[in-house]
Amino acid sequence: MWELFVRSLDASIVLAIAALGELIGQRSGVLNVGIEGVMLFGATFGFIVAQTTGDYTTGFIAAIAIGAIIGLMHGVFSITLGVDQVVSGMGIWILGFGLTTYIGNPYTGPLGMARIDRIGGLSPFFYLALALIFLTWFVLNKTSLGLKIRSVGENPEVAEVSGVSVNRIRYLCVIVSGMLMGLAGGVYGLSYNPVWNYNFLMGWGFIALALVFFSMWNPFIMFGGAVLFGALWQLALSPEFILPGVMSRYLWRMVPFVITIVVLVLMSTRWFRTHWGAAKPEALGVPYKKEG
Amino acid sequence: MPTENQTKEKTVLEARGITKRFPGCCANEQINFAIKQGEVHAILGENGAGKTTLMNILFGLYQPDEGELFFNGEKVDFKSPLDAIEKGIGMVHQKRKLVQAHSVIENIMLGHPDSGKILNFKRVKKEVSELCEQYGFKLDLDAKVWQLSEGQKQSVEIIKALYRGAKVLILDEPTSALSPPETRNLLDSIMSMVESGLAVVPFITHKLPIVLEISHHVTVLRNGRVTAKFATAGATEKSLAKSMVGREVIIKLDKVEVERGKPVLEVNNLSAYNEKDHLALSGVSFTIHEGEIFGIAGVSGNGQEELADVLAGLRKAASGTILLDGNDITHDSTLERWRKGVGYVPAERNEVGTICDYSLIENVAMNYYFEEEYVPRGIINYKSLRQLTESLIAEYNVATPGPDVKAKALSGGNLQKLILARVLSKKPRLIIVNLPTQGLDVGAIEFVQNKLLQAKKDKAAILLISGEIEEALSLSDWVAPIYEGKFMDIIPWTDAERDNVGAMMAGMKPKVESL
Repeated sequence: MWELFVRSLDASIVLAIAALGELIGQRSGVLNVGIEGVMLFGATFGFIVAQTTGDYTTGFIAAIAIGAIIGLMHGVFSITLGVDQVVSGMGIWILGFGLTTYIGNPYTGPLGMARIDRIGGLSPFFYLALALIFLTWFVLNKTSLGLKIRSVGENPEVAEVSGVSVNRIRYLCVIVSGMLMGLAGGVYGLSYNPVWNYNFLMGWGFIALALVFFSMWNPFIMFGGAVLFGALWQLALSPEFILPGVMSRYLWRMVPFVITIVVLVLMSTRWFRTHWGAAKPEALGVPYKKEG
Repeated sequence: MPTENQTKEKTVLEARGITKRFPGCCANEQINFAIKQGEVHAILGENGAGKTTLMNILFGLYQPDEGELFFNGEKVDFKSPLDAIEKGIGMVHQKRKLVQAHSVIENIMLGHPDSGKILNFKRVKKEVSELCEQYGFKLDLDAKVWQLSEGQKQSVEIIKALYRGAKVLILDEPTSALSPPETRNLLDSIMSMVESGLAVVPFITHKLPIVLEISHHVTVLRNGRVTAKFATAGATEKSLAKSMVGREVIIKLDKVEVERGKPVLEVNNLSAYNEKDHLALSGVSFTIHEGEIFGIAGVSGNGQEELADVLAGLRKAASGTILLDGNDITHDSTLERWRKGVGYVPAERNEVGTICDYSLIENVAMNYYFEEEYVPRGIINYKSLRQLTESLIAEYNVATPGPDVKAKALSGGNLQKLILARVLSKKPRLIIVNLPTQGLDVGAIEFVQNKLLQAKKDKAAILLISGEIEEALSLSDWVAPIYEGKFMDIIPWTDAERDNVGAMMAGMKPKVESL
C-alpha cells in the first residue's frame, strides 16, 4: 500500500511541476498547449545526456535548458510575432513528438543507471515540487514582480500604461514556464519511468494542461489536483490493488483522460464562465500589441 | 467661479508649436498653451479636433513631428508613458485602465517604484488613505475593481496618478460616465487638488457648463489648431460652442408638440438577466404612444442596455410581456420584430451597429436584406441597394468619399448618421435608440436630435435611452430615471426637474409633492 502511495506521488510530482510551468505562463497571459511537446523534449534530451555522461545533474540541466529554448521559441511566435497561441502550441507538440522520436530512437531501452536516492522514503523531487509551488504562490501574490505578472495576464494595456514592459514580463514567464516543463519531462524520463520509448509520456502533458484550468490558477489547488490525478493514474495501472475485478484495466487507464475531458468541457460552459470566470486571466491567449 | 489669485503661479507644462501629422485626420498643427500650477485648464474640442492626438503626445504615446514640450521650464522629450509618469504627468483615460480582477490597492501599487520588491501593503494603504482623505475620495482599498461603480473606478485612477506623484493631472472626459451626485463629488475633489497646487487639465467634448464652472482657462481646438483661448471668467456657453464648432449652435431645442396617437409599445412587468446571470432589469412597465418620445435617463449599467436588448429581441425576457400595436411580440425573433416595424439604433456603433470591414452598402443592407425589393428570390440586387445607400448618404449628409468605403473609415458622427438613416428610412413604428449622441460632437448631436424629432412628427413611438439628463429632458415627453433595473418614477416632461431626475438616477426615492 505504501509502495502504491509513493509511486502515485512520484507521478503527481511530474504533473505538478509541469502544470506549475503552464500556470506561470498562463498567469502572464500566454497559453502553451504544447506542454506535452516541451516535456517530451525535456525527457528525451535529459535521458540522452544523462546516459551519455553518466551524470544525473547534467541530464537535468539539459532537460531544463531545452525547455527554456522551446519556451523562448513559443515566446517569439506568440509574443513578438503575435501568432495564435494555440497554433504555436500545437506546432510545438507535433515538433516535439516527431523530433524526439527521430533523435531518441537509437536510445530505446532502459537508462541503465542507479536509481536516484530517496529522501525520507520519498523522491527528492517531491520536496523540490513543494518548494517551487510555495515559491510561485509567494512571488505571484506577495511581490511586485508577481503583481506585474498577474496584471500583464489580466490586462496588458493597463500594465503598459503603469510603466510595466508587457513583453519583457511575458518572455520571462514563458521561459521559466518552459524550464519547468523541461524539468518535469526530465523527472519523468530519469526518475519516474527511465526507459526510453517513442512517445513514452503518453499524454501526461495534456493532463497537466487540464490541471491548470482545474486549479483555477491557484498553485495549491493545482498540487491537490496533481495528487488526485497521480493516484488515479497509478490505480489505473494496477486496479486490482483496491478494486479487484471491477472493470478492465484498460478502462481504468482511460479515467484520467475522461476526467480531463469532463473538466475541460465544464470549464468551457456558460455556467462556469458566469460563476467562476473571474479566476481566469482575462487576457489569456490574446496576443498583445502596443498602441501608437 | 474660482478666484483669480491662485492662477498667477508659475507654469508647469508648456507646449510650443506642437505639430503631429497623420495621413488623414486628427493631426495637430502648431499647438501652443501654458498650464500653470494650481489651475484648471480645460482643453475643449469636438471629435476629430485633435484632442486625442494632443493627449497622446502629452502622455508620451506619440512623439510630435515638430515643437517642444517644457515641464517646469525644462525641455522634455517623452519616449513612452513611463517617461511622462516619471516627470509628473498623470493621465486618467476615458476608457478605464484598471485590472478588474485585482483589488484597488493592487491597482494603485502596480508599477509604482516604491511599492517594494515584496509588496508593502500596510505602508501603501496608509499613504493612500491619507491621499483619499485629503482630496475627499471614499474608497474601499481592498474591494475588487469590478465591484466598483464607474465613478469609484475613476477615483481609483485619479488616486493612482496622484500617488505616483502627478503634478499635472490630465482627465479625459471626466464626467461622461458619472451620475450627477458623483460629478459633484469629482468637481469638489478637483477644487481641493487645485488648492494644493496641482494643475488639472480636463479634455472635454461637449459638457460646456462644467467647463464654465470649474476651469480658470480654456483652450479650444478645432481641426487640429488652437482657435481660441479664454480666461473662463469672460466666456459663455455660447461663445465656447461657437469657437468649437465655428458657427452659432442652438443649445436649447424647442419642444415639438405632436398629438398623442394610439399606443404602439406596451411593456408589462418586464425582467431580464445580464451576462453574469444577475437580474439586471426587474419588472418595468410602460407605454409609448404614436408621436411620443419616452426617455430613460440613467447611468450606464443600470439595466437600460438589457431593456434595449430585450425589446430588440437580442436577449430573452425572464418574465413579462411586450406588445407592439396590440400584438404580443415577447417571443418573436429579431427579424420578425424588424418586419413588424421595430427599428434599433444600438449604443455600440462599431461593434453592434455596423460591421466595420463591410462597405456602407452592405451595412445598409443589414436592415434591408429581408425585403423582396432589394433581395428578390434571395439574390442581392446591388444596383438598387447602391441607389438606396446613395440617397441615404445625400439625405443625411454623411461625409464619405462614396458608398463603397468600409464603415470603419467613417467618423463616429457619420457612422451614427448612416445607422440612423437606414433605420429611419424604413419608417418604423417603434424606434429604440440607445445613447444616440454619446461621443458625438456638438454639430452631430444637433443633427441626430433633429432627426429624432422629425421621426416623432412622423408618428413613430421612440424609446430614447440617454445618460445625459439634458438630452432626456429636452427631447422626451416622458422621463423615467432608471436605477438598478427599476424605474424610480415616470414623469411627464413638464414636471421633470433636472436636480430631481439626477438624484433619482443615483437611486434616491422620488420627492413626494408637498401640499
